[in-house]
Amino acid sequence: MTADLTPVVVRLKLSLLRNGLRQSGGRRAAYIASAVAVLLFSVLQLLGLIALRGDEHAGSVVVPLVAVLAAGWAVMPLFFPGGDETLDPTRLVMLPLRPRPLVRALLVASLIGIGPVFTLCLLVGSVVSVAHGGTAYVFSVLGVLLALLVCVALARAVAVANIRLLTSRKGRDLAVLSGLVIAVGAQVVNFGAQRLGSGGLGQLDGPADVLKWVPPASAIGAVDSASEGSYGVAVLQLALSAAALAGLLALWSRHLTRLMTSPDGSTLPSAQGAARERGSTGLARLLPAGRTGTVMERSLRYVWRDPKTKAAWVTSLAIGLIVPVFNALQGTGSIYFACFAAGMLGVQMYNQFGQDTSAFWMVATTISSPRDAYVELRARALALLVITLPYATVVTVVTTALIGDWPKLPEVLGVSFALLGAMLATGAWTSARFPYSIPQEGYKNVAPGQSGLAAAAVVGGMVSAALLCAPVIALTIWANLSADGDEWSWVLLPVGAVYGAAITWAGLRLAAPRTAGRLPEILTAVSKG
Amino acid sequence: MTSAVSVRGLWKRFGQQVAVAGIDLELPAGKFIGLVGPNGAGKTTTLSMVTGLLRPDQGSVLVAGHDVWRDPVEVKSRIGVLPEGLRLFERLSGRELLGYTGRLRGLPGGEVDRRAAQLLDVLDLAGAQHKLVVDYSTGMRKKIGLAAALLHNPEVLFLDEPFEGVDPVSAQIIRGVLERYTASGATVVFSSHVMELVESLCDWVAVMAAGRIRAHGPLDEVRGAAPSLQRAFLELVGAQGQDTGTNLDWLGGGAR
Repeated sequence: MTADLTPVVVRLKLSLLRNGLRQSGGRRAAYIASAVAVLLFSVLQLLGLIALRGDEHAGSVVVPLVAVLAAGWAVMPLFFPGGDETLDPTRLVMLPLRPRPLVRALLVASLIGIGPVFTLCLLVGSVVSVAHGGTAYVFSVLGVLLALLVCVALARAVAVANIRLLTSRKGRDLAVLSGLVIAVGAQVVNFGAQRLGSGGLGQLDGPADVLKWVPPASAIGAVDSASEGSYGVAVLQLALSAAALAGLLALWSRHLTRLMTSPDGSTLPSAQGAARERGSTGLARLLPAGRTGTVMERSLRYVWRDPKTKAAWVTSLAIGLIVPVFNALQGTGSIYFACFAAGMLGVQMYNQFGQDTSAFWMVATTISSPRDAYVELRARALALLVITLPYATVVTVVTTALIGDWPKLPEVLGVSFALLGAMLATGAWTSARFPYSIPQEGYKNVAPGQSGLAAAAVVGGMVSAALLCAPVIALTIWANLSADGDEWSWVLLPVGAVYGAAITWAGLRLAAPRTAGRLPEILTAVSKG
Repeated sequence: MTSAVSVRGLWKRFGQQVAVAGIDLELPAGKFIGLVGPNGAGKTTTLSMVTGLLRPDQGSVLVAGHDVWRDPVEVKSRIGVLPEGLRLFERLSGRELLGYTGRLRGLPGGEVDRRAAQLLDVLDLAGAQHKLVVDYSTGMRKKIGLAAALLHNPEVLFLDEPFEGVDPVSAQIIRGVLERYTASGATVVFSSHVMELVESLCDWVAVMAAGRIRAHGPLDEVRGAAPSLQRAFLELVGAQGQDTGTNLDWLGGGAR
């Protein structure tokens, strides 16, 4: 029985592909178009890689290329979990199958499709560009085969682990964060490509030296080593890839067995790990007593524990760092880009009550006067400052260090603090005046029908914040333009800090009576998610 | 008899739909009060307006003699609320949630922790106190919500469908806590559409249908001559005419 499993699964995969195409004309057209595009691209890069043959940097190009390809295979199932139905082993749960033949059958079935064809083309092109001599050709065949299998097994192992993850609450929390990987990854790739464009292929030698030991790139590295006559190294690299393949298959098999024999994680009482004590952390003792400390503690806990809040914070922190620092690294940046950190983090003050979701009723039932509302808003602003103030300072100092313009540090810090204050002030006011819901599931950050409101609140708030900063900005411009302004530019640090603090205070004062007077309206607005 | 809650001319419209159409009601203090009615009768809307979570179009609400909308300082410290369909701060553990709520209410930290520990114990949540509320079952959520509403020892407790989706064991625990609470002179107002439950728990009921109060008073008066509150309720809301006897006569699982 089990001996026949592989052809059955392969036929299943082919039927699924065929039936998928039969479903609708649009889908067929899309599939054929993407297939043609991928094949065309495969042929082009194959030609490109063959043209690279003989180049002294050929090995440094193909090794990172294969590593990137493998990373792509690893990431794919996370973003397109429904892309391949045979990737979802939960559909086979009811069938009496043993893990070993099943793994073999699924592995062979995964080799069918556009993805594997593209990968095969790229791998063949890679070995063609680096293989020289008979022994190298032998290594080539083994290397290509191993690299392809590692890629496919990697995707399968990740997919199965992902399914197990998505059936638990913790896993779904993580899935909300996965969009960030792309956002931040794109920035890094963009930066890397720019470096490469300016520095030439030789730039890749360093990473390639490391990556040639990382499977499956090591399988292609082995071909390069064999061409240079270092057979011992080549065998070792090939063995590394083989070991990785064995490891991945074992991992996949284990996950598969557990997935198919244990109940869905979401139906289990999550008693495991519940025993972990969530006693008062050291944090609580440092915070002030009363409403202020209580609200700060809750806000800071949510930055870490609530996936939506966490995603927003990580995005702000990452972009607030990447924009000034990467621009400074490329030599295209102005030192004033450092204010970006303060601006990005200040955005977190916006829609404070929307971040509470409908749990805002717990806050609403305890606010009975503008004074309560003021303390509540002030505590939220303070919680934000605990993270923002040191972060914006560090980003500014790092940017200054990269650009090497130390005399400008005080004034840039001053502008940053003023901007942060203005963001907190406008954020508090718009939180009270234009609250909107943040849906807890999925990637959307605004509830349907409220996106206009959200955009108006954030954009309007940011423009107002910039206008509110005008006095400090004007002072900065004056300090830069006037003859003896440089001697006085240090004054901008205390001026900016005091101005920021004062404007925050004024903003909170204005927002508090609005919050206290509009509690039911705010609750209605934030309960749509 | 003094009124715990006094509602006068309360109206609420959502667009074209009238959710609450002019309610006048005097709820006596120290009683276990049930607000009953079919789904969509306006129970949740009424309770939201009474507790200050939804602004009425017209009318006034007094709790212990203080206007909910003009004098929130006096009212909010006197009432406890367990709404239906609104979230809690679910990324806190049960214990953290109680600590947070109590401190927001202005109670001293030590007192909050002492009361929280007792409530968690009585409500059988002590074992799950360090688990995040997001991982709680429906019954556990209702219980932690009840604990949060009781923490500041309110005079009047408003509970919206406190037994909805709750298992029998948790329901019994909630009943026990509420009975002890009313025995000491406090008032409980809760909404439900389960008549048997209201009949066994309450000594005073208000029947609501289509945004209006159809009957109110001590349980015996509202029940009148009817054999059960269920029957009295069906007569009041006029759902008696539907006879299932002659239709569906093919049902019964015998001949196909």
